[in-house]
Amino acid sequence: MEQAGEYRIPAERAVVWRSLNDPAVLARCIDGCQSMEQLADDRFAATVKARVGPVRATFDVALTLTDMRPPESYVLEAEVKGKTAGFGKGTAEVALADADDGATLLSYRVVGRVGGKLAQIGARLIDSAARKMADDFFSAFHQAVDPTTKPS
Amino acid sequence: MDAFNYHKPSSLAEAVALHRDAEDPAYLSGGHTLLPTMTQRLATPSDLIDLEGLTELTGIAAEGRTLSIGAFTRHAEVAASAEVRSTVPALADLAEGIGDAQVRNRGTIGGSLANSDPSADYPAAALALNAVIRTDRRQIAADDYFRGLFETALEEDEIITRIDFAIPSCAAYEKFPNPASRYATVGVMVADFNGTVRVGVTGAGPCACRAPAFEAALSARVDPAALDDAELPAIDFNSDLHASAEYRAHLVRVMAQRATARLVEAS
Repeated sequence: MEQAGEYRIPAERAVVWRSLNDPAVLARCIDGCQSMEQLADDRFAATVKARVGPVRATFDVALTLTDMRPPESYVLEAEVKGKTAGFGKGTAEVALADADDGATLLSYRVVGRVGGKLAQIGARLIDSAARKMADDFFSAFHQAVDPTTKPS
Repeated sequence: MDAFNYHKPSSLAEAVALHRDAEDPAYLSGGHTLLPTMTQRLATPSDLIDLEGLTELTGIAAEGRTLSIGAFTRHAEVAASAEVRSTVPALADLAEGIGDAQVRNRGTIGGSLANSDPSADYPAAALALNAVIRTDRRQIAADDYFRGLFETALEEDEIITRIDFAIPSCAAYEKFPNPASRYATVGVMVADFNGTVRVGVTGAGPCACRAPAFEAALSARVDPAALDDAELPAIDFNSDLHASAEYRAHLVRVMAQRATARLVEAS
């Protein structure tokens, strides 16, 4: 599985960078995130209840941030384990660049693999589901860092 | 499969109340998506609420220019129905081409639409036949119903009761089936309402959609060649191990042209 995307976020690069490293912001932006804990500067542990169509499974997610180049880019490594649903591993390269009007252009590229039952029966849907999750995440992230959006 | 509570309500109101009070409930219709997911433990609902036997969800009736099908009607019943055959034969053909005999004997039209699998057949018909999705609390036009990958306008505890299809002068459905599952890699229904043509597309993107430029071209002239240069619908095309996005885009036009050719033959 491989995908890439680009989002324009109307906030300064430093703000976007800070938010990308803030477990509270990340937890708010991941649909179904039940807990998010910071274990070290560069490591997070999360529990996520994923819902895609008929599938509703809880996953333990271990996130590690590497190749940190603030406020430009980092690499996010994720290891995902489901109790019974299977497992996955992915690497996301996230890069920030200045856009016009003080906005920030965020681009990402994800390479991932899934195994176990999820791969057996979900193969036909994994790419679409991953794309939807990325879109949902970044649109929530957009709201979370947009200074014109009132905090809810 | 994990343990769960099984309920068989005798009214819609009771079904909704059971759903409201359960911890992690799921409605059970034909079960041909939900049960395999549960046996794989990719879903572990605490309570299954079986909708079989609710009279509001059964029966097929054609009245005026509307064909009304109860949500619990199984695919095989739609395929074999004299009312469907005589009013919208393309819909009976579509039902006959879903999955295999086991799926057709258990799966239901309401279950299919509630699930809104991106490759399911019925969503293309719901859009092409300008369907109205009736639920326990309201009616939803098909055009407002499909929202995204497995996402519909339905609320969490809402139950589809009937689907009212507008009866066209003529319609045809063509799909490029996955040879193993017979899911639509791409499926297109073309329906002619006295010269106004509607086109429903499934399998191509996150959810079913219409093809506006195809509809305009066919409303001007019902001819496969009219689609040669018509703009494809603006779809974020699916890509998976069965078909790339480019291939699906290609199939949308080809399936639409084949369906149009059958429409021409039939009229």
